[in-house]
Amino acid sequence: MKKIHLSALDLRRSLSRRLSLWIVLFAAAIFLAALVYVFVISRNAVRQEAIRGASRELDNTVLRVNGILEDVQIAADNLEWLIYKDLDNPDRMMEYSRNVVLNNPFLNGCSISFEPNYFPSKGRYFSAYSNRMDGVVYTQQEGNDQYQYFYLDWYLLPKLLGQPCWTEPYTDQEEGDDTMDSRMTVSYCKPLIGNDGSFVGALTLDISLEWLSQTISAVKPYPNSYSILVGRGGTFLVHPDPDKLFYQTVFTQQLVQQDQEMWQLGQDMLSWKEGMHFINLDGEPCFVFFEPMMTTGWSVAIVCSQEDIFGNFRRFQNVVIALVLGGLLLMFLVFSRLIGKMLEPLRRLATQTQVIASGKFDSKLPEVTRMDEIGLLTHSFGDMQNSLVTYVEELTATTAKKERIEGELQIARHIQMSMVPGTFPPFPSRTDIDLYASMSPAKEVGGDLYDYFIQAGKLHFCIGDVSGKGIPASLFMAVACNLFRLLSKQGLPPAEIARQINDNMSEGNDQLMFVTMFIGCLDLATGCLEFCNCGHNPPVLLDSAPHYMDCIPNTPIGVCAGWQYQGQVLENLRGITLLLYTDGLNEAENPVHEEFGNDRVLQELAARPFPDARTLVESLLAAVAAHVQDAAPSDDLTLLCLTLKS
Amino acid sequence: MLFKMRHCLILLALWALSLPLFAQEGEPIVFTPQWTAQAQFAGYYVAKEKGFYTEEGVRVLIVHPNATQSSMERIRSNKSHATTLQLAQALQMIDEGIPMVNLLQTSMNNALVIVSRRGKNPLKMPGAKVAIWQAGFTQLAECIMNETGLDYHWVKAASSVNLFIAGAVDASVAMSYNEYYRILQAGIPLEEEGVYRFSEHGYNVQEDGLYVTREYYRKHKDQVEAFARASRRGWEYAAEHPEEALSIVMDYVRRNNIATNPILQRLMLDEILRLQLDPDSGQREFRLREDMVRQASELMLRGGQINHPVTIEDLHP
Repeated sequence: MKKIHLSALDLRRSLSRRLSLWIVLFAAAIFLAALVYVFVISRNAVRQEAIRGASRELDNTVLRVNGILEDVQIAADNLEWLIYKDLDNPDRMMEYSRNVVLNNPFLNGCSISFEPNYFPSKGRYFSAYSNRMDGVVYTQQEGNDQYQYFYLDWYLLPKLLGQPCWTEPYTDQEEGDDTMDSRMTVSYCKPLIGNDGSFVGALTLDISLEWLSQTISAVKPYPNSYSILVGRGGTFLVHPDPDKLFYQTVFTQQLVQQDQEMWQLGQDMLSWKEGMHFINLDGEPCFVFFEPMMTTGWSVAIVCSQEDIFGNFRRFQNVVIALVLGGLLLMFLVFSRLIGKMLEPLRRLATQTQVIASGKFDSKLPEVTRMDEIGLLTHSFGDMQNSLVTYVEELTATTAKKERIEGELQIARHIQMSMVPGTFPPFPSRTDIDLYASMSPAKEVGGDLYDYFIQAGKLHFCIGDVSGKGIPASLFMAVACNLFRLLSKQGLPPAEIARQINDNMSEGNDQLMFVTMFIGCLDLATGCLEFCNCGHNPPVLLDSAPHYMDCIPNTPIGVCAGWQYQGQVLENLRGITLLLYTDGLNEAENPVHEEFGNDRVLQELAARPFPDARTLVESLLAAVAAHVQDAAPSDDLTLLCLTLKS
Repeated sequence: MLFKMRHCLILLALWALSLPLFAQEGEPIVFTPQWTAQAQFAGYYVAKEKGFYTEEGVRVLIVHPNATQSSMERIRSNKSHATTLQLAQALQMIDEGIPMVNLLQTSMNNALVIVSRRGKNPLKMPGAKVAIWQAGFTQLAECIMNETGLDYHWVKAASSVNLFIAGAVDASVAMSYNEYYRILQAGIPLEEEGVYRFSEHGYNVQEDGLYVTREYYRKHKDQVEAFARASRRGWEYAAEHPEEALSIVMDYVRRNNIATNPILQRLMLDEILRLQLDPDSGQREFRLREDMVRQASELMLRGGQINHPVTIEDLHP
């Protein structure tokens, strides 16, 4: 089995792992939701069961304790009527006191005590007291100057409250006695009311707190739980911690440190409420279940640590979580492996595709017999591979063909450019002639033309623009160019030259192509310019200010055979610069299709003086280039600038 | 001659050094505080345990009172020689013809309070049942409350706190260092409205002091004065080292099996030490104040607690 590395890169590269991870995450989410639900329900059930269990225990404990306490109360009730019967006979009180202790083994003592001087014969004090010590019952009159019972709780409480009551536990402690809890006594006291309705004394029955402590301490629903008994003043009457037993109350810590939870628990317990609090006791979270003992006003509580109640549940929870996590991991491994196996053909296809992509178009795709999506994909890749091979072959042929044509076009371009004069200055021996020309075809070859030469003291020149662009226009231009040179050399005037070129080119012009031309003949001696404009843009004259030349437009050459062209004469061109151009200048478009414009041509020319024809032409070309920016040239651009110096 | 003189000097020195030893070997001072072991007597415990009494050359036995023998009983029966008394108790005893000498006055303020249930102002409860100690310490409280005309029905009890907690009385007299905290410890919140502090109403009369009978003082003057000096040193040490003092107090508490706890004792010690500061100077002065003695005497005369005025001179050695 391959080792699985779960790095982020692996996950990005491996569809099977990613898919498995998604499945596992989805399953984990479902498991998590289910587990949370189950755990919450179970925890509540455990909690409820704990509450029920603790409540049962508390009920039973309170019932048991109350049973004994009620026995004490019944014994007091039974004795009370005898006392009233002999209220004038103090000696009988000694007898009653003794008998009630003898007859009720749960009693530790009994005192029938009277107000000071109630029995004049007995003096100030009379308290018939019997107590059990080591199984023997002793009876005596216990009041004296050192033991003034009138001031003790068990006497004062029934006197002041006017009703039976239970005292808080107390001890008649002797010096050197260090077993406080074993001597703790609690008394049930009843007021004795005389015939005149006044308080005459108190009947008190004592029981030891020891058995009560044992009964309550025995309540232990969980291994680490413990029970406590709290008196009316919050004192711990039963507590496993000897430092707290009798010495502290529920509120002792509150004297120095506020603890709202503890305070509330104490208040609820002292308010005779029944319930449960969840609080931190000495840093450990605990449940405290409590119930009042209505007989005495005390409160019994069972303290159970959270760990005790939920310990088993938590262990079960951990096992379940571990199982689920293990299951999810196993699921991930199995799914990862399974999906990986299913996607293996796809992986092989991907590898093979990479080979094909590297240029090996004839590389063989893996064999598949599957009919599913992967099989379909492989077949589609096969078809695509075949189409690709065919396409590439065709593309190779086409590319070769195109390269050949491009080569020919380059040659044609050279030929075309060699057809127009390209050496400047053209007439180095003539300092009176300043002439410069430029031709920039929009494509490899263009339809613009220009030409000039000197013959018999005259400068013959022309500029032209064939309709359309590319090879057809270049061929048409070549014919026009040759005809101009041929006819000009015969010394014909420009209008005649135009007429003859027109007649020649109109013949058999099935493509209905045409060329606009400006044909000129400058007498270098007189400066007189004869010219004929054949539908071409009027040239610009730069004398005092640049302006377009007034020309008879005529018709372009090749349009109408037999057209009679009218020539014109400019008497003296000397000192005046003549600029001829094709519409590639004024109609040059920028990226947003704005034309350079006729006015702009004049503005550029008027902007500054130009020292020579070349500077002028190059300046205009630069202005056009700035206007056009990165837009493709829309037309061929040709400029010819001529100055016959004075 | 010189040899004889040297011998005499050596003998003199040996006699001088042995004086404390002889004193220690003599009759010990049996000291009985007026109540069971608690932080109210911390200074005496500290003086005993830190050896201050021994250093002063006196042997002191601390014997606490019990249910059958109060401190006064022990003094009367000559079982104890020294005790602590509240100033009012001392005045009463002198008035009764038992001359007492104040050796050391520890309290400079009054700690008596009356607390009522349910936050009711004790001054607005005429005829209320008010628990008070049967064991004494109530002279001033009775005088003062009679003067206010509230005519309380005093309920004398061994434990006023239990009656108060059980709701058997409307209010209870308490010491600000003892019962006051025990009531709080029982979960009964005491609102300021329901707490009447005598010291804050013009009755700031000193309380605890260290006393012996005048006769005993006359017979053992040096010894009791040394006892007083060491006791004062004990209190000063307790004020400077309250944690150590508390630890010593808790040892006594445990030995005497007293149902209390360190928190209550710590609060008691803090309050006792606070009460020892003179209200004017803020210092621990350890002296009787003439104005307070006079006020106590006048109050008790009016209240019928004493029949003759008692002055500070009657208390001084």
